[in-house]
Amino acid sequence: MRARALAGFAAAGLGLSAVPFFGPPAFYESFLYLVFHWIVLAVSWNILSGYSGYFSFGHGAFFGAGMYTTATLATKAGVPFLWTLPLAALVAAVFGIALGAVVFRLPRLRGELFALLTLAVTFVLATIVLNTPIDGGPGLYLSAVPLPAIGPSPSSTFYLLGLALALATLWIAREVQRSRLGTGLFAIHDDEDVAEVLGVPTYRYKLAAFGLSCGLAGVAGGIQAMFISYVTVGETFSIAVPLNVVLMSVLGGSRHWFGPAVGAAAVTALLYAFTAGDYAVAGHAAVGLILIVVILFLPEGIFGELIGALKRRRVPAMPPIDAAGLPAPAAWPGKPEGQALLEARGLCKAFRGVQALAGVDLEVRRGEILGLVGPNGSGKSTLINVVSGHFRPDSGRILFEGRDLARLEAHRIARTGIARTYQIPRPFAHLSVLENVALPAMFGRDAQARADAEREARRWLAFTGLAAKAMSLPGELNLHQRKFLELARALASRPGLLLLDEVFSGLTHAEIDDAIRLIREIRARGATIVFVEHVIRAVMELTDRIVVLSYGRVIAEGDPRAVMREPDVVAAYLGKPRA
Amino acid sequence: MGLPSLTLLGQSLLSGLFIGALYGLLGLGLSLSWGMLRQINLAHFALAFLGAYLTYQLAGAGMDPLATLAVVVPFFFALGVLMHWLLARFSVSAFNSLLVSFGFTAIIEALIQWIWTADFRRMESAYGEVKFRVGALYVALPELLTLAMALALSLLVWAWLRHTYTGKAMRAIAEDAPIAAAFGVDVRGLSLLLSGLSAAFAGVAGLCLALSYTLAPGQIYAWLGVVFAAVMLGGLGNPLGPLVAGIVIGVSEALTMALTAPAWAPLVSFSLLIVVLLARPGRI
Amino acid sequence: MLEVERIRVSYGAAPAISGVSIRVGAGELVCVVGPNGAGKTTLINAIAGLHSIEAGALRLDGRDLSRLPRHAFCSEGIAIVPEGRRLFSGMSVRENLELGSYRRAARAGRAGSLDRVCEVFPILRERLEQPAGTLSGGQQQMLAIGRALMAQPRLLLLDEPSLGLAPAVVLAVFDVIREINAGGVAVLLVEQNAALALEIAARAYVLEEGRIAAEGRPEALLAQADIRRAYLG
Repeated sequence: MRARALAGFAAAGLGLSAVPFFGPPAFYESFLYLVFHWIVLAVSWNILSGYSGYFSFGHGAFFGAGMYTTATLATKAGVPFLWTLPLAALVAAVFGIALGAVVFRLPRLRGELFALLTLAVTFVLATIVLNTPIDGGPGLYLSAVPLPAIGPSPSSTFYLLGLALALATLWIAREVQRSRLGTGLFAIHDDEDVAEVLGVPTYRYKLAAFGLSCGLAGVAGGIQAMFISYVTVGETFSIAVPLNVVLMSVLGGSRHWFGPAVGAAAVTALLYAFTAGDYAVAGHAAVGLILIVVILFLPEGIFGELIGALKRRRVPAMPPIDAAGLPAPAAWPGKPEGQALLEARGLCKAFRGVQALAGVDLEVRRGEILGLVGPNGSGKSTLINVVSGHFRPDSGRILFEGRDLARLEAHRIARTGIARTYQIPRPFAHLSVLENVALPAMFGRDAQARADAEREARRWLAFTGLAAKAMSLPGELNLHQRKFLELARALASRPGLLLLDEVFSGLTHAEIDDAIRLIREIRARGATIVFVEHVIRAVMELTDRIVVLSYGRVIAEGDPRAVMREPDVVAAYLGKPRA
Repeated sequence: MGLPSLTLLGQSLLSGLFIGALYGLLGLGLSLSWGMLRQINLAHFALAFLGAYLTYQLAGAGMDPLATLAVVVPFFFALGVLMHWLLARFSVSAFNSLLVSFGFTAIIEALIQWIWTADFRRMESAYGEVKFRVGALYVALPELLTLAMALALSLLVWAWLRHTYTGKAMRAIAEDAPIAAAFGVDVRGLSLLLSGLSAAFAGVAGLCLALSYTLAPGQIYAWLGVVFAAVMLGGLGNPLGPLVAGIVIGVSEALTMALTAPAWAPLVSFSLLIVVLLARPGRI
Repeated sequence: MLEVERIRVSYGAAPAISGVSIRVGAGELVCVVGPNGAGKTTLINAIAGLHSIEAGALRLDGRDLSRLPRHAFCSEGIAIVPEGRRLFSGMSVRENLELGSYRRAARAGRAGSLDRVCEVFPILRERLEQPAGTLSGGQQQMLAIGRALMAQPRLLLLDEPSLGLAPAVVLAVFDVIREINAGGVAVLLVEQNAALALEIAARAYVLEEGRIAAEGRPEALLAQADIRRAYLG
């Protein structure tokens, strides 16, 4: 597949680079240079913002950083133009990574706040550049800087430079999309917290994407500096860059590496048509109108909708999965049963004054199925959230195979071999069922390559009866199927400890029987299971032991039937009558 | 470099006060719709400028600038209602409302440029000529009018929210809209009302812009960072917030300008915005 | 007075409750008990107009409520004390109470209602100007009930009032509920704490997995072990 794509790119590259040698008029070459220029800006922006959903309104800052790097180095330090380009990339990338290092640490700075922050950064940079010797006000002239003669004429040179950068950017965007980084970014887009809990190193990945995105914008800026040959703060840091790249990517489709390129070409051509017809102003209005229409009606963008339609039409050929002859998913590390696998000691967690966990001590033994029960508000879900890494406990320790989890970052907890499901299923809405299940296999304890992970995922889909739905989106599944998807996703990382949060709620009688059978099989393969449940029938049938929580404390534990008869437990559930 | 004279400092502080009032006036509508309706309306700035240009046009046709409010306010109210209706009709999320309003901004800016061109426009009015002396300091009437309007509108909204049935209902909507509805509050109707008011306030801000400043379409974005900083510093949805925060920012900028160089002033507001974003949690 | 007939309410694709029918007569105190996840909150939210009904009918004194917009339910005389209280925590105790009587018919008697509510819950009078968010759990529950009373309802809906409250406070709250009902207001109480709910109710329903599993007088239900089975298996 990649060889074919490489060949395609090479062919396009060769074909397009031949164009200047046929002697087209200079303004065609310049126009095409502009198209390439915007393709680079939009596609590079998309690497962070489209893939991960962190919409940056500050692409102009990094573009400007690159522009001024080249302008300054070329005019004041006499650095040859082409050499300034990698430096422009470096400056922009470093700037972006420095910003990201601070901002991505703050979980509240997502969505609109991230957009505003990046916009503010642009203006700050502009002010600094304007008021320091970097520019100082009058702008920088590059007309005296020699342009290497790569093509038969200056406009051809820019055309070729633009082409080279555009192809490089497209290739990088494609590679990112298909890599682990890309998968992680798409997961972050749909549900960052779940991605982190499944093992995706979200902080690192966002930084990497941001750095790439900014670096590429920096090079585009460098080339543009030469092209317009007179660099001013006002023109460089204007609102045009962020507005246009957002529009182009949203219009073309931000979930695919090629989408923004389609948008870039379309919008550039549109604006050019308007400018040529002396309606430049109307062009901007048209741009604004298109953005609104696309947001309201075409959420996937033009290219995105096209791809989506094609995918639905084609029934993908899937290798037949013979459940009978399926090699069993590798048994979990066989270790002696009965020993403590997980120990919680004195766990406390409070939310805004409500003490959800008030000193929980419990032990989970290897190979058992432990039921965690208790009335509403007793702290069961909080306990699962704390153990799996969604929340840090206020105090206490969680020992898993000897290691204290309480201080680990969430994505590292996944690597230790703990997996969980969510009470209300949280699949990645834009990834297929198969991709959802493959992700934990890619980022979990075994960190498999994509092909292996997908094979593993297919096995688990067959196991949970979802094989036929592998290519569907989670939104197309009913509740029962989505719960099983949660289960398959949790199993795909081959966890040693499986935490299930109300997996049975909302299921019909028959579906519950199905699920019980499944869980028994999972245990037979060597997993230890803790499950939080209200459906008492399932608890009675499945569990070896149960622990009862009430008001954040353990009030009873032991054999299911015996415990449920204890007066304290009955009182906790049913309440005490006054008499 | 020696410290500036006391008079210069005093004049700077005064001008900081007045420009801060304008920030507050510009930020009032934005803060209300963001804080209460969860819609970030970038187009607020474009609307303010549209209002400024309309005032300029009507004043040029002979109307007293203050009287133009009679035209601008109802018109903008209707625009605000329309915009909110559109966003609600398509169930646009908070983030997407940012993008959609971005689009509206571009359209309005293009409209302005088409009708009035990119040339600088300065409204000549009787008000612009009047200056008062306060000791060694000068105060221009337009500035005073801006401060007066900012104070009046902020206080009126504050009083509305605090003391009337509908105002309290509005605050309830901001806290928990479904439960407010369960107690009989017409969430939809009040939201449209608030949206209309926000846009109307943008129109009033436009008048003040026209009175004191030279207008150009590119100016729209110049105010963006400062006003967002004022809105966030003042607390979303707090009617007195943008004014107080705006004045704090305005005075800080003025002091910066007096003590260093004028061109560094924008750094103050944008840096403040960044600091606020980094330091204050969640929805501020 | 209230007739709920075979309603179905779904969250997304899956029905949360299905084929549920209950009745509340004028001045009656009826409770709906059941284990967590049975659909109790869904049921009460549907009756309060907070969630739309897909199938079945919802009638108050014969009037069909399902076509009304959300904010009209209150003017029909229904007031809700939601699960988790859902007070307007940034607003003062007084303002929360005032908003309770937002509906036109209740506005005139606002001052009188406020006095009466403060008689029932003296602790609120002491804290009228404090932000609702600063009250303790039990006090917040009192305020939530007070807010609903301000609407001068004919039918008071309570969703799990005991949730998150210490046992002693729960007893106090249930005493108040009984008093309110004694004053002539019909009450529909949804509660996980079956023992207390059954103590004060005239009639009860047991909701299990989205359907009515049993109904009748409290003594009968307790005797039949239906409830024990539903909760404890």
